[in-house]
Amino acid sequence: MIQCPSCGRLAEPSLQCSNCSGPLPANVDLFTALGLPRKLTIAPEQLEATYHRLGRELHPDRFAAARPEVRKASLTATSLLTRAYRTLRDPISRANYWLELHGRKARENGSRVPADVAEMVFDIHEELAEFAQSRNAVPADASDLTERVNERRMEIVNRLEALDRELAATFCSLDQVQDAPPDESVAQLLSILSRRAYLRTLLRDIEKALDTRPSA
Amino acid sequence: MAYSDKVIDHYNNPRNVGSFAKDEENVGTGVVGAPECGDVMKLQLKINPESGMIEDARFKTFGCGSAIASSSYVTELVKGKHIDEAMAIKNSAIVKELNLPPVKIHCSVLAEDAIKAAITDWRKHRVTDETPKKAESV
Repeated sequence: MIQCPSCGRLAEPSLQCSNCSGPLPANVDLFTALGLPRKLTIAPEQLEATYHRLGRELHPDRFAAARPEVRKASLTATSLLTRAYRTLRDPISRANYWLELHGRKARENGSRVPADVAEMVFDIHEELAEFAQSRNAVPADASDLTERVNERRMEIVNRLEALDRELAATFCSLDQVQDAPPDESVAQLLSILSRRAYLRTLLRDIEKALDTRPSA
Repeated sequence: MAYSDKVIDHYNNPRNVGSFAKDEENVGTGVVGAPECGDVMKLQLKINPESGMIEDARFKTFGCGSAIASSSYVTELVKGKHIDEAMAIKNSAIVKELNLPPVKIHCSVLAEDAIKAAITDWRKHRVTDETPKKAESV
């Protein structure tokens, strides 16, 4: 419990006093800051609504004439609120934060790249190099290669969409667990997140290659 | 973001880019990646089987400028070193040389891991070639 600087009563740790709605100087986790359970699945509308309501109700302007402790609480609460919103709004940063709360991290499997991903990255980059070279040499002859690179692009986009569906399903299954998350599901979450990161980088490189005008 | 002059130099003129021919002997290959940002790095070392000295190095890195610079620098750093010496290279040496900012430290970790992965790969093949029954897994 924490004492509210506005009304002096004890309240559950959160950003807002449950008695008087004043700001609390509580150092809570980002889910609690937004009044959410520690779940991976979040309804975006709920997140937006809570963020905007708390942003209004805890805004420093409303406490400009209040006592210094209250003003200070309003500043720390709103900055924590913003950090919580930015972190939890995006499913990937939310998942990374959730892992951190459970003492896990994206890097825990070291630097090993899944073999199939590594192979794809090197194959595609070889094609991209070939593509750039041929386009510079004989721009007119590059259309076959352009088509192939475009196909590759679609392939990656589809894989990323499939990964996002897998991610949502993994979120759901982890949310149903009450106790510590099972290692198997956490491993799956880590695998999806890392594959996604590699494919996103690859997609960015493919799009850069397609956008680049042939050098004269 | 401001890259240091050394990062820009390695980025614009990367040393030892490419890979060795597939049939080249005594080559160890390390492929590593950063799951946070999706960078992928491949480092190949050509190692003298008698002396254990690193005779040549090649790299291919797909990622940010700092990751490319880190791997380029590492190929220069390990050439002429004994594998035991190369195994002892710490990422802090790369950070210092390239003046990497805190957000790019993971790029130097990646380069350090790549050296270790390449040497481990070379050793594994040697063990397999010489004493097939004692071949270690991983």
